[in-house]
Amino acid sequence: MSLLTPILIAPLLAGLLCLVVPSRRVMVALGVLAFATTLALGIALLHEVLARGVVTEWNGFLCADALSAWMVLLVSVVSFASALYAGPYFQRDIEAGMVSPARVREFYVLTPLFGAGMFMVVLANNLGVMWAAVEGTALSSVLLVALYNRRHSLEAAWKYVMLGSVGLALALLGTVFVYAAACKNAPDAVPSLNWSYLMSVAGGLDPHLLKLAFVFAFVGYGTKAGLAPMHTWLPDAHSEAPSPTSAMLSGVSLKIALYALLRFHILTAACLDSAFSRRLLLVFGLLSMLLAPPFILVQRNLKRLLAYSSLEHIGLICTAIGLNTPLTILGALMHMGYHALTKPVLFFAAGNIHQAFHALEFRRIGSGVAKVLPLTALWMGLAALAAIGLPPFGLFLSELTVLSGGLAAHETTVSALILIALVASFCGILQQFTRILLGTRRPDARPIETHRLDGAPAMILLLGALLLFSVWLPEPLLDLLRQAAAIIGGQP
Amino acid sequence: MSASATAPIGSQILTLMAALMLVLQLFIIAQRRLLTNIRLFAIQSLLLAGIAAVVAFHHAANHVYLVAGLTLVGKVVLLPWLLTRLVYRIQIHQEIEPLLNAPSSMLIGGGLTLLGYVVARPFTSMERLGNNTLAIALALVLTGFFLTINRRKALTQVLALLTVENGVMLAAVALTTYGMPLVVELGIFFDVLVAVMVLAILVYRIRENFASMDTSKLNQLKG
Repeated sequence: MSLLTPILIAPLLAGLLCLVVPSRRVMVALGVLAFATTLALGIALLHEVLARGVVTEWNGFLCADALSAWMVLLVSVVSFASALYAGPYFQRDIEAGMVSPARVREFYVLTPLFGAGMFMVVLANNLGVMWAAVEGTALSSVLLVALYNRRHSLEAAWKYVMLGSVGLALALLGTVFVYAAACKNAPDAVPSLNWSYLMSVAGGLDPHLLKLAFVFAFVGYGTKAGLAPMHTWLPDAHSEAPSPTSAMLSGVSLKIALYALLRFHILTAACLDSAFSRRLLLVFGLLSMLLAPPFILVQRNLKRLLAYSSLEHIGLICTAIGLNTPLTILGALMHMGYHALTKPVLFFAAGNIHQAFHALEFRRIGSGVAKVLPLTALWMGLAALAAIGLPPFGLFLSELTVLSGGLAAHETTVSALILIALVASFCGILQQFTRILLGTRRPDARPIETHRLDGAPAMILLLGALLLFSVWLPEPLLDLLRQAAAIIGGQP
Repeated sequence: MSASATAPIGSQILTLMAALMLVLQLFIIAQRRLLTNIRLFAIQSLLLAGIAAVVAFHHAANHVYLVAGLTLVGKVVLLPWLLTRLVYRIQIHQEIEPLLNAPSSMLIGGGLTLLGYVVARPFTSMERLGNNTLAIALALVLTGFFLTINRRKALTQVLALLTVENGVMLAAVALTTYGMPLVVELGIFFDVLVAVMVLAILVYRIRENFASMDTSKLNQLKG
């Protein structure tokens, strides 16, 4: 039975169908259905990968190992939740005249294509095809960022697409260098750019070329992953996009770019030793982590604050992989998962607040959101507590895993820096969120529109999953994570 | 061994065409008219297609002919036509208005070319055909990046990005025996096409909203 092909086909089909179906309700259903299908297929893939190790299709054109299977699950969950949230969200937007129905159709066409692109990135065996897929996700998401067609969203989209294209041109150059190394290794044959082939000949590849390739790929995919100092597009794009898109950008798209980067890291580590590429990951991961808290502390815009928090989390994941011990890598993979369950809830709640107050600036929202939007404030508060790493939420667990792994490896300085960044952003987020969520409304505050359900199903689903997996990781999932960690850390 | 007999000639033709690509890049840096810029890019892409054809002939590799054909259709005909139409449609002012004037831009372009040669030096032994093609490719990439920074208008930034892409493709031809695998070439080709369309849509919307294409006006989002 084939699994990989339908994972790609389902969202693609849904996106194309949304071009022609007349009713918006059908479009919503198609989006939800597509990602529910990929979620089910992703779970089946998990068991298949655990049983067989590597799953291939189309003569090895598509290929999934434990790392890909984990990413498939993340993409499916976040996209599913954001499709669920998007229905009522855009309904309210249309009623308020914020966006035209034609633009909303654009959303329903592009979002599944965005998802399909991300699935292609993680399932492609060929590094060149992986590059093309990353570029595809950038192109489909840039029009989503520009969906509202306001001046600010166009500015954000332009920065996103220019920085992204420059970065991806560098990543393509990195891919070319890898292929050149493969050609040099096998002068008489036509080598393939397949990941599985490259790994099998990794020991014979030219180390200088591969180093050069990794540097280009690092800058290129690092830009797309939002690593500092190439992160400047990130807060703009995340704050100006419609909230369901922000959730997907922050929840998975960053990690997909990081996945592409990791493939180069694994290849470089297999050819040289891991010292060169892991040091780059470590330094820029730490830089991202330390850069984020000051911006969180002085932030005046809710969704920009969330974007900087994403910068910090992606920095932590990068740093943990850079530490390169089995424990920290496992912690990084867990962190990817828990972050993917947490951050979308924050963006959804921010979307509710945006629609109710018609503003995202703290000054215009004022304090005491809990008084007027009690449910939204509850979801947001819970997710914020999770995001800053309080127990019992899983992010506490993964951060602790990374820290203890770092300390066990005698990386005291790095661990201390991680801890400083975590504590700083803890204080920042806590202070900003208590200010807007709690307290009393000013008596002269403008009255706001409230809605009954406010996209609660999507948020309850994610928060429920977060709580469940925080206290109980099913054995197959843990096995998958262990296998994926072994792939990143080099096969033991 | 017909391949080895044609090698010096093929190699020389290839070197000549790559050098011409670099010359065109310097023209692009120096001149100020938008439509001329689009035409120069089309000629540069024509040279790239020619290089691919030479490589295909030399190695008797049929799939590289396809690459040459795709470059010809996409970058020589289709994209310049699309961009020219966009220029007329939104009726923009013809001057490019770079941040730096032409002499200093040329100076920086020359410096970046030099840098490309320095970076490529350890890898010259890897070139299959032609001399210094990798250096030229890197020079194209670097000057292309400089162009994106040096220009204010959205559309001219797109053109600068396209020259970067030409440089990357030249590197692919210079360093590998048969160019990239076909499926990758196809992927890159369609990505570039779609990218230009997406960028054109954005340019159009920015023009509608700001009554200008000057990206230095896109400066509201900070912190």
